[in-house]
Amino acid sequence: MAGLELLSDEGFRLDGRRPSELRKIRLRLGVFDQADGSAYIEQGNTKALATVYGPHEVLGGKGKPLHDKVIINCQYSMATFSTNERKNRPQGDRKSTEMSLHLQRTFEATIQTHLYPRSQIDIFVQILQADGGNYCACVNAATLAIINAGIPMKDYVCACSSGYVNNTPLTDVSYLEESQGGPVVTVAMLPKSEQIALFKMDNRLHVDHLEQVLEVASKGCKDMYAVMNAAVKEHVSRMAKSMECS
Amino acid sequence: MAAEFKTAQPVEYYKQFLKEEVRPDGRELGEIRSTILNVGSISTAHGSALVKLGNTTVVCGIKGEFASPTVEEPKKGYLVPNVDLPPLCSAQFKPGPPSIQAQVTSQLVADTLLSSNLLNYEDLCIKEGNMVWVLYCDMMCLDYDGNIIDACLIALLAALRNVRLPVVTIDEDTGLAELSSTEDRSLNIVNQFAATTFSVFDDSILLVDPTVEEEDLATGLMTVIVTQDGRLCNIHKPGGTPLSTDQIQDCIGRAQTRAKEICSLIDDTLDSIER
Repeated sequence: MAGLELLSDEGFRLDGRRPSELRKIRLRLGVFDQADGSAYIEQGNTKALATVYGPHEVLGGKGKPLHDKVIINCQYSMATFSTNERKNRPQGDRKSTEMSLHLQRTFEATIQTHLYPRSQIDIFVQILQADGGNYCACVNAATLAIINAGIPMKDYVCACSSGYVNNTPLTDVSYLEESQGGPVVTVAMLPKSEQIALFKMDNRLHVDHLEQVLEVASKGCKDMYAVMNAAVKEHVSRMAKSMECS
Repeated sequence: MAAEFKTAQPVEYYKQFLKEEVRPDGRELGEIRSTILNVGSISTAHGSALVKLGNTTVVCGIKGEFASPTVEEPKKGYLVPNVDLPPLCSAQFKPGPPSIQAQVTSQLVADTLLSSNLLNYEDLCIKEGNMVWVLYCDMMCLDYDGNIIDACLIALLAALRNVRLPVVTIDEDTGLAELSSTEDRSLNIVNQFAATTFSVFDDSILLVDPTVEEEDLATGLMTVIVTQDGRLCNIHKPGGTPLSTDQIQDCIGRAQTRAKEICSLIDDTLDSIER
């Protein structure tokens, strides 16, 4: 690896985590008033915001209403100040378009699309600060926003990435770790049924190690699920309390 | 019942409230929503600030880059403000190129920066005629509930005061710029300013700090920008109900008070964090 020791001899990573440890997660549901659903998530230094509008009638000339299911429209955008080098275009470049498409596919697989024929759901995600695992943060934030909007899903979708260094799989890789050129596997998973909604891999990884890396990523997804579920429950009970008061 | 009445006859609904000198959200006519400021939350930017004005949320991030100065002003760096109203912040904005409103707001911010003598642009010089700092100030609305201009300017000012630029030295032999990783400096803000927006309801009643509903119903809007020491910087009144000179004087007076409040809010917030 290019000069940087990603895993110390004692088995700690650059930011002091153990190989199977997630970064610190902070999340909140219902942060904004205008949107039908919104959520904010911080995974370490990666900060993402998701808002959901809909289901509403199909607007704009882009898509035709589908008679049997809802159209899911995703837009991924990165703030110009979110990366070390300033980005000139917050969205519309190839990487963002690819990311939007990945998100769209992920949520088409999870939202109960047949319930809202001839309508549209908009999911907008915004990265405010990027430090690796952008896709994961977006999926997790969008899931919470969809729950906040009250749109039925088959299950949560939780995403987690994992890498492979010195024969050790690493969970939830940071920007420093993913930019070193090692393999990165990103998994979006429905934690209860353990089905995989999206699987993406960058760089080469020996087939023999795949199972191990996948195992770690799905463990990460389940850990993520526990945190998200707790936050949703807390949010709902707070909502219920405030409704009782009024 | 109230909700149906509001949807069917929004103007009547508002009139009922305004007759009692109160607005539907419980504010008095001249009352500004509570303003919350958070500074330096985005560590990838050189300076950042997040403002909540009621529900309206704006985040401003500033990133510095090297650029060549213009031939006319070889010692001066420059600021490039940009206001973004993404579809994320409200259902009324559609994906695509920047809306007219976003462009108008960007231009207003740029004009205000130009006329306000906010900072000494020669501070941004690295090497005369060769290299200067250009500061990209990107303001992004995250939740749109009216009065975007006021929120943007507060965010911009707070973010500018939060800016830390690394000290740059130019290597004599190679001519390459080197960034110091330990030393940084802040900007010397000379002249602070703040905006106050008024909306005119039903051609007669002036409301301060309108929400999105009040903006939609307004027959006219006016934004007054004054500096901290009370000098007028910019007035933006895009048509609408004509106002008398007395009314405008009154608005300027209120804007002066508001500008002082904003500046002390920014001072307090910056004092409360250690950087």
